Amino acid sequence: MSREQMNPQIESILNNIEKVMIGKRNVVELSLVALLAEGHVLLEDVPGVGKTMMVRALARSVNAQFKRIQFTPDLLPSDVTGVSIYNPKEMEFQFRPGPLMGNIILADEINRTSPKTQSALLEGMEESSVTVDGVTHQLAKPFFVMATQNPIEYEGTYPLPEAQLDRFLLKMKMGYPDIAEEMEVLNGAQRIPPIETLTPVIDLQGLRMLQEEMKDVFVDETIKRYIVDLANGTRNHDSVYLGASPRGSIALMKASRAYAYMYGRDYVIPDDVQYLAPFVFAHRILLKSEARFEGISAEDVIKRVQARTPVPVRRLVK
Amino acid sequence: MNSRGSNRNLHTLLLYLFAFLLLWEWLRPVEQLTNTDHIEVFLLFLLIAFIGSYFESNRILLISIKTIYTLVSIYNFYYTGGFFGSSWWKKFFNDINRNIGNIVSGNWYDLSNVFNTLLFFILLWLLVYLLHYWLLNRQRIFLFFLMTVIYLAVLDTFTQYNANSAIVRTIVSGFMVMGMLKFYRLLKVESMVKEHFFTRKWMVPLLVMVAFSTAIGIIAPKAAPMWPDPVPFIKSLSEKSSNDGTGGIAKIGYGTNDSRLGGPFIGDKTPVFKVLASSRHYWQVESKDSYTGKGWIASISGANDLPFQLDFMKINKMDLKLLKGYQPDINRWMFPLPPFPDHVPTTKENAQIFMDMNYPHVIYPSGLKEIIASRGPHFIYDQDLAKIYALDEKQNPVALKNYMIYFDVPKYRVPELTKITDKDSDLIDLTFLSRYTELPINLPARVKKLAEQITASKTNWYDKAKAIESYFNGPDFTYDQKNVAVPGKNDDYVDQFLFKSKRGYCDNFSTSMAVMLRTLGIPTRWVKGYSDGQFLANSKGEPDKQIYQITNNNAHSWVEVYFPGTGWFPFEPTKGFSSDVQFTYDVKNTTTGGSKVTDPVPFKKPQKKLLDPSEENFLKAKKTEKQSLLKSTQKFIKQKWRSFLSVIVIAGLMAAFLYKIRSKWYPYVLILRFRWRNSDEQLGKAYLVLLKQFERYGIKRKNDQTLRNYANYIDFFFSTSEMSRFTARYEQMLYHQTLPPGSWRETRELWENLIKKTIT
Repeated sequence: MSREQMNPQIESILNNIEKVMIGKRNVVELSLVALLAEGHVLLEDVPGVGKTMMVRALARSVNAQFKRIQFTPDLLPSDVTGVSIYNPKEMEFQFRPGPLMGNIILADEINRTSPKTQSALLEGMEESSVTVDGVTHQLAKPFFVMATQNPIEYEGTYPLPEAQLDRFLLKMKMGYPDIAEEMEVLNGAQRIPPIETLTPVIDLQGLRMLQEEMKDVFVDETIKRYIVDLANGTRNHDSVYLGASPRGSIALMKASRAYAYMYGRDYVIPDDVQYLAPFVFAHRILLKSEARFEGISAEDVIKRVQARTPVPVRRLVK
Repeated sequence: MNSRGSNRNLHTLLLYLFAFLLLWEWLRPVEQLTNTDHIEVFLLFLLIAFIGSYFESNRILLISIKTIYTLVSIYNFYYTGGFFGSSWWKKFFNDINRNIGNIVSGNWYDLSNVFNTLLFFILLWLLVYLLHYWLLNRQRIFLFFLMTVIYLAVLDTFTQYNANSAIVRTIVSGFMVMGMLKFYRLLKVESMVKEHFFTRKWMVPLLVMVAFSTAIGIIAPKAAPMWPDPVPFIKSLSEKSSNDGTGGIAKIGYGTNDSRLGGPFIGDKTPVFKVLASSRHYWQVESKDSYTGKGWIASISGANDLPFQLDFMKINKMDLKLLKGYQPDINRWMFPLPPFPDHVPTTKENAQIFMDMNYPHVIYPSGLKEIIASRGPHFIYDQDLAKIYALDEKQNPVALKNYMIYFDVPKYRVPELTKITDKDSDLIDLTFLSRYTELPINLPARVKKLAEQITASKTNWYDKAKAIESYFNGPDFTYDQKNVAVPGKNDDYVDQFLFKSKRGYCDNFSTSMAVMLRTLGIPTRWVKGYSDGQFLANSKGEPDKQIYQITNNNAHSWVEVYFPGTGWFPFEPTKGFSSDVQFTYDVKNTTTGGSKVTDPVPFKKPQKKLLDPSEENFLKAKKTEKQSLLKSTQKFIKQKWRSFLSVIVIAGLMAAFLYKIRSKWYPYVLILRFRWRNSDEQLGKAYLVLLKQFERYGIKRKNDQTLRNYANYIDFFFSTSEMSRFTARYEQMLYHQTLPPGSWRETRELWENLIKKTIT
């Protein structure tokens, strides 16, 4: 894709994060897309590739409250949402907010905890509120969860059910840095962790504004049709047991909007959709077991669907 | 290579050398084929021009050298009296003046040799300059090379010039030049410095390849021509009917050269003449007496010409009336030989002939007595060829437009003919007999054996001839104009037909019959002319006469056998044809009959059942209404199908050609289409047109490729950024449904540039 002029504010955030995050610009970009689209991100990767670093840098750059929840098998829902404690002095229960009450939350190794705790988190993500002891507590705004999932361990894990995976706007992999990048990481590691040196480039108010502005990005009928065609393609594909849901289509449109906005465009083009489709759809597709045995991944299926879905290059005939 | 002063090197010298050799190939045949002499003078001129060009001598100096050389050469060719004397200059300029006048008035044949020579020098001069331009500026020579090869091929095919070695020389020089030029072009494109290393790396393989392929080409066995010699076909096309009989595909029609018969025919409906006569007749032109094994020639001709006698007395009113519309002054010419002996009863007939083609010979039926033609030409009868010519006072042949003939239609008596047996050959003059029974020495013996076999039971000549005539009517023989063999070097034409192909047209049948009879000692001659033609209409003025149209398709040949006491009697061996000869078997019995009438009498309607007259009329009217329309369409198609077909073919060819070169002109059409459209909506249309055009160009957008991605590819392909810029506008238009006003005007240039890039 040709380099376009990015939205200057977003570019400054990106640049700020890049001061501490070496490489992985695309992951940072996608995280920002999710943040702008008020969605959440599921990062599937091994430990130690810089997930925490990135989220912290992001939080610092937008001057957001950063919370981290390390999911363990014994973690209880109230450890996430917060708990009401009886205050003998005032003779009433007082709500003590849990880590979910931040702006940017890193939910580390989400598949290690019990489904009950997982659903507490996911409910919060979906409804941007939590209910503790019958009292509904609104979550902070903006609210952005970056959950991580370790793909190599199976024992003692509770894989997320499909319905809950759907709550994440994007799923992506961080991947290892390349050699040059890793060398640079080593050079950087000799000094004090530079994350402390980051200064915010935008405040939460500014971020909210960006989120609002993003909603004005125009999505033409042709693009909507293209998104629907892609979603439909996943539903009809031979290797797919369950295709992308309409929520998936909405997610793709939202993400595309945010992506277009990030690149300073007030309209979505097919390139945006094409680029984002694997990140939006991959975790929403359930492959048939034959396909899995054949080693076909959800990303492969999406690529094939894209390859046979024509890009709209002229007006729809009504 | 364009820069001045850098061309004087070995490469240029070699290029010039090969170019000179190529040009030389153009000059070589000139000496042989035209009346141009002293070709070396022109060669020297070429050399001077090339050397001058190579050394890049002063232009003025070079021009003066060439001019002086030209003048001196012309002087040496045509003038005397001192080069510096004023007299020849005067003549020279007068000559030039006169010739320029000739050119202006289009008298190409009046150009003098002096002027032709001058033009030739100028042509060579131009050619040298052109070669110089091709070699050094354009660095391309293929066109010239191709033209040289075509030139040689055409000369080799159509003239006696033998281009066998010329083509080898041309190929070597041509490929060397092309190989070298390709190398220089590559150097130029890649902006590389000419290095010895590269040069050697290129030139050595080039040399080896050219040498190797030439050697292979010379050594390798050459296939025989896949197609028959095109020359007769093309000649027959250009000269309409003059089939010169050299074998190969010929167009049917009358021609004088029959020395090589055989090969396929294509039909030709060109009208030759119309006849107004009261019955059908064969029309003869001439006969040949000597069979060569490949065809017929005339052993003698013109030695025994007899002039027609003018009969002043016998012009009657009838003749005047008949020919009045054409020419009031008419002459009556008497045929110089007595027509038929007394024992052959005849009926008198006359006919009018209207020529559609111009022939100096007269077309006539057997039994000719008188020719009535407009005043002017006189007629002679060539006894050897049995051919009649019309001549003017200077004895030059004249083509008659129309004439009238009186002739006797014989009714031969078969008993009279059957009297003649081998014994009666004594009655014939010995030289006459040997002339009309002569056969080539190497005629295969089996021809004679077959003839004897067929006629074994027959005693007289007539029955023998009839036996052979009907032998050809048997199932073994097929009438065919297309799939007809050409006798090879060692084949006999008759032998091939009788024993191998058994498939042919009139020439095959008639020649075979004539030759077979000759093997039996019966004198025969081979007659050429036309069969009876096609019925056109009934005559309006004379109810008993009909008009027949004779076309080239009716060109025909048959056999005449000489019967002592009767004369030449015609036979028709060709399958499917029937002669109009009438004969009676019994003197007392007067019944007559055509031998084998296959053509129906044209105006004889089949008898119908009797119907009620009114009903009949009604049916008739209904039928004719439908039929007339059908008939007129059919007639129209029949008459015009050739022109239709040729128009369609030409249009098709032109369309195919235009389609083939569409990449050269279509982009301009597109540009023109959008040149005057200014509304911004055009941007969208223009963009789609551009996509289509790129697709035609061969860089198609994949279905799943986004416009932006494709634009990047296009820009990369053409090393530009125009497509991306233009695409951004279209994206905005398509995906945002807005476009800043004036977008199309701003981007039209981008678009035009992109379209132009697809011009190849």
